[in-house]
Amino acid sequence: MDVEVETLSIIGRADDLVAEELRGHGLRLTVAEARHLARLIGRNPTKVEATIFDIMWSEHCSYKSSRHLLKEHLPTEARNVVLGPGEDAGIIKLCEHEGESFCLVVAHESHNHPSQVMPFEGAATGIGGIVRDVYCMGADVCAVMDALRFGDPHGPHKNKVREVASGVVSGIWQYGNALGVANMGGDVCFDACYDENCLVNVIAMGVVKEREIVRSRVPAAAARERYELILFGKPTDASGFGGAAFASDVLDSDELSESKAAVQVPDPFLKRILAEANKKMLELVHSRGLEIGFKDLGAGGIACATSEIAAAGGFGALIDLSKVPVETPKAGGELPPEVVVCSETQERFVLAVPSSVTGEILHIYNEEYELPHIYHGARAVAIGSVTTDGVYRIVTGAGREAASGGGFVLGGAASAGRGRVVSEGLGQGGSRDAQATAAQRLLCDVKADVITSGITIRRESRVAECQECEPRFAPPKDLGEFLLELLGSPNGASRWPIFSFYDCEVGGRTVIRPGDADAGVFAPLPGSPVGVAVSVDGAPAYGKISQYWAGAHAVAESMRNVACVGATPRALSDCLNFGSPEDPDVFHGFEETLRGVGDAARRICQVDRTDPSSAEPVPIVTGNVSFYNQTATGKAVAASPIVACYGVMEDYSKAVTMGLKRPGSLLFLIGRRYDELGGSLYYERLLGCVGRNVPLVRFGVERSAIRLVLGAIDRGLLEACHDVSSGGVAVTLSEMCMAGRDSCGAGVDLTGVAGIPNGAGSDGDSGAARSAGVAWTGGLRYDRKLFSESPGFVVEVASQNVNDLSKLAAETGVKLFRLGAVLNEPVLRARDNGKTVLEATVGDIRKVWSRGLEHALA
Amino acid sequence: MKPRVAVIQFPGVNCEYETQRALNAAGLDAEVFRWNLDVGRLSSFDAFLLPGGFSYQDRVRAGAIAAKDSVVQEVALQADRGKPVLGICNGAQVLVEAGMVPGLSPGRVEMALGPNRTDGRSGYLCEWVFLKAVEPGRAAFTCAMREGQVVPLPIAHAEGRFVTRSPGTLEALEKERLPRLLYCSQSGEVATAYPSNPNGSVLSAAAVSNRKGNVMAMMPHPERAAWLSQVPDRITGAWGQARLEARGDRTRMSQPGPGRVVFESLLQYLK
Repeated sequence: MDVEVETLSIIGRADDLVAEELRGHGLRLTVAEARHLARLIGRNPTKVEATIFDIMWSEHCSYKSSRHLLKEHLPTEARNVVLGPGEDAGIIKLCEHEGESFCLVVAHESHNHPSQVMPFEGAATGIGGIVRDVYCMGADVCAVMDALRFGDPHGPHKNKVREVASGVVSGIWQYGNALGVANMGGDVCFDACYDENCLVNVIAMGVVKEREIVRSRVPAAAARERYELILFGKPTDASGFGGAAFASDVLDSDELSESKAAVQVPDPFLKRILAEANKKMLELVHSRGLEIGFKDLGAGGIACATSEIAAAGGFGALIDLSKVPVETPKAGGELPPEVVVCSETQERFVLAVPSSVTGEILHIYNEEYELPHIYHGARAVAIGSVTTDGVYRIVTGAGREAASGGGFVLGGAASAGRGRVVSEGLGQGGSRDAQATAAQRLLCDVKADVITSGITIRRESRVAECQECEPRFAPPKDLGEFLLELLGSPNGASRWPIFSFYDCEVGGRTVIRPGDADAGVFAPLPGSPVGVAVSVDGAPAYGKISQYWAGAHAVAESMRNVACVGATPRALSDCLNFGSPEDPDVFHGFEETLRGVGDAARRICQVDRTDPSSAEPVPIVTGNVSFYNQTATGKAVAASPIVACYGVMEDYSKAVTMGLKRPGSLLFLIGRRYDELGGSLYYERLLGCVGRNVPLVRFGVERSAIRLVLGAIDRGLLEACHDVSSGGVAVTLSEMCMAGRDSCGAGVDLTGVAGIPNGAGSDGDSGAARSAGVAWTGGLRYDRKLFSESPGFVVEVASQNVNDLSKLAAETGVKLFRLGAVLNEPVLRARDNGKTVLEATVGDIRKVWSRGLEHALA
Repeated sequence: MKPRVAVIQFPGVNCEYETQRALNAAGLDAEVFRWNLDVGRLSSFDAFLLPGGFSYQDRVRAGAIAAKDSVVQEVALQADRGKPVLGICNGAQVLVEAGMVPGLSPGRVEMALGPNRTDGRSGYLCEWVFLKAVEPGRAAFTCAMREGQVVPLPIAHAEGRFVTRSPGTLEALEKERLPRLLYCSQSGEVATAYPSNPNGSVLSAAAVSNRKGNVMAMMPHPERAAWLSQVPDRITGAWGQARLEARGDRTRMSQPGPGRVVFESLLQYLK
């Protein structure tokens, strides 16, 4: 059969005709982008080429709206960074162990749209995709984590919200548990702004020896030696075709069935075997001292992965589509070539290896690990080779009937006058065998770096004044009763009903389970005392008031959580979830968030014990931007920066959990209480409003507090440590009681913990950032002291250590507030100015807190 | 020479490496044995361990396909000759599906591991529980424990509820006092209800052995409790307390945890 190569007609046609043509082909490129493409390549693109650019120029792949701003605002460099943003994962130095330098590999991205449309598959492939990003750096994956944002489970969309929430949680545990990667928890929040757009952000972490890091690029050796491209994993099918474009537009319920086709199909079983085979492959590669390139297949499938791996090394590639193992559609017929090259079928990787080892590597996957027997149609196959002319070509074998003349025919039969014969040789070192095949049909013939260099769009940005204001209200009559209501609510309740579905101990590396402390801790290297602590954070309500502070808080809270266990924050990753960048208000919020994230990462900075004056930023080493989290009617999610912090501790045996340990020991507060209840859980539950006084991050204060906590844990001075964030000191203390021994309680006195608004010495506390604060009246009402979300820590200290802690606090310039003591009575009691203002039994608290989430999800 | 243990790697298994580490730490020489290697090599091992995971994707039922695998048939032969075999979690499901546990009428499937079902919580559960040893001295994997000894171990499964349709099987388990681990409270009272019995298992069984005591199907994960550092400090009782007290002491933290006794028992049994 003589296959016609479909070509788009753009050059010389009117805009409306071009638009119609693009729509007819199911492409989302704008007319201007299509014209830009035709100019770039000097002719009309084939359908395959247009499809590739449609994906590569999508917001999801190109970061066309955000790239320049990310560069401008985010600190990505520090001494411990081995690989910053740009590839599939970021890498930092971890430790020296047995004479080797080991690194921590981290990846973080969103899988929001797929999870809204097909919650189970969307969330599962989110985990599946993020672990591939870590595997392909040559690393062993140790842990995953996720940040989930769902709608209001009691609101008008409650049925859908609950369906999405339970589907997402199932997808995460069923995939992650089967893959055998420990889940370190993460966080879960509910807010009506996610009613129709859930957020599913996923994180994966792994370890690799520094000298065995594998890059997602064809190595320089390919200039001297023939390199082949091996595709392995699941056979390519139509699943996930259009996924990147789908993620780059608003969700439209009218296009639901089409959207479902854009969600990939997960298979953790196959992934586990691929991971085992990868280890064997890497062993072979490292033992021979070979240089390879390794990349996972994500957005844009084969075309994007192979063009990117080639372009990153400065090479081109020749892909023979007829070599790709394809799962033929059940309905019969063949997959169109643009689907084969761009579908996002899961569980696939590509390797660039010297052709001299191709046979051995295929043997590992196909014979030793029996891919074809394990999964129908799965296998490893050499689908093409690296070329040195920098051109990325895709040919079909169907064209082997071949015109004479030894050239390639582009765009169909040359005689039809629409195509073009490419007779210049391909084979400058790279593709001798390709040249040997007479004429093949060329589906794509573009410089690889033209495909990957992307485009930029300058978006309009408009300052949107926050319309919220501070409420005036009386405190609830019985604060103890109200505390129970708050702790039983979706955002106040224990995460255990979700976390207990996650296998958090597979791998045997877990040192602190999710929920037992502010961060999960694992020991990535058996035999080494080094621990890694991780936390992911982002408060939805803050983004409704100030996108800047939402960004700064996400960074600060994740760092604080990691510090709570005793780990030094060493790197960050971020996923910035927003509405449409085409909306100037949304885009301004995005810019503000970036400023906040950047400022916090730079100004809280890394703690260097050997050099206290060092002020290196905590580097942001990877992440992504997810736009278009809004409905077709324009309802966007609140600005939702979600930040993960990776902390390292030299000796994990020093790690501290949050539960109260010993009756009689003392409780201290670090961090003054301010009238900062904007976006608080208190306002949400009591008043159903957001308020205005969003907590500030006082960067200098935050830095000193983190230094103090780290120093104290390192010296063994703390029995327990928990941060103050959502729900304020009241929730912090409740959680410390519940995580503690059954018999423990807490008795505190809040007199004197309040700070003066915009007070002197509070670095970073810019008065301009708030305009509607409640006037200072010389004190803070007791309910505000209890529920204000001004950042801080509550620590438990054995009485014999109090002097040492006070000394350390003085040295670091941190004010310690003596709150009270751990009681030998399971009760939480708070006093203020001589009066008991809150009292609740730990048993009552535990009853509502431990099952609150079940009511929200059932 | 250390006794050699084959840790069988079926496709989809995912606890093989930590299980290998835990065996090695107890003084054994463990090797991961891939499913398609020469079955003839198995006879050179002294004991066998079927680790946790999702063998063959839990197709049909958890453990059902692996139970028919030629590797398991060979392991069953070796077990008949008295060599010890431990199945942990998915490995336990394989042994039950293969009729090796309880093995009252050898080769017949007498029990099953059903989906977790209790009044408090159903479905997959990852949590720590307490277990009490019954007739530990008669079984290869508990012989270093005392009768009635209570240990905390983690579970992580969706199908861990031992069930049987045959009253005779239950009677035999009880009457013959087959070695078992039972779900219990921290103080050692055998538990029939959630949360101490996390899955509704009949007779509160968490692990069941055959008559000879050389084959055991165990739902909890001793390899995740092989070091003190793996024990959560919130666990009530001596082990949680030990973990608390080890804070800041690297040496104590790397001491054995409550699950180590399972592997030490094997070493003792083989000596």
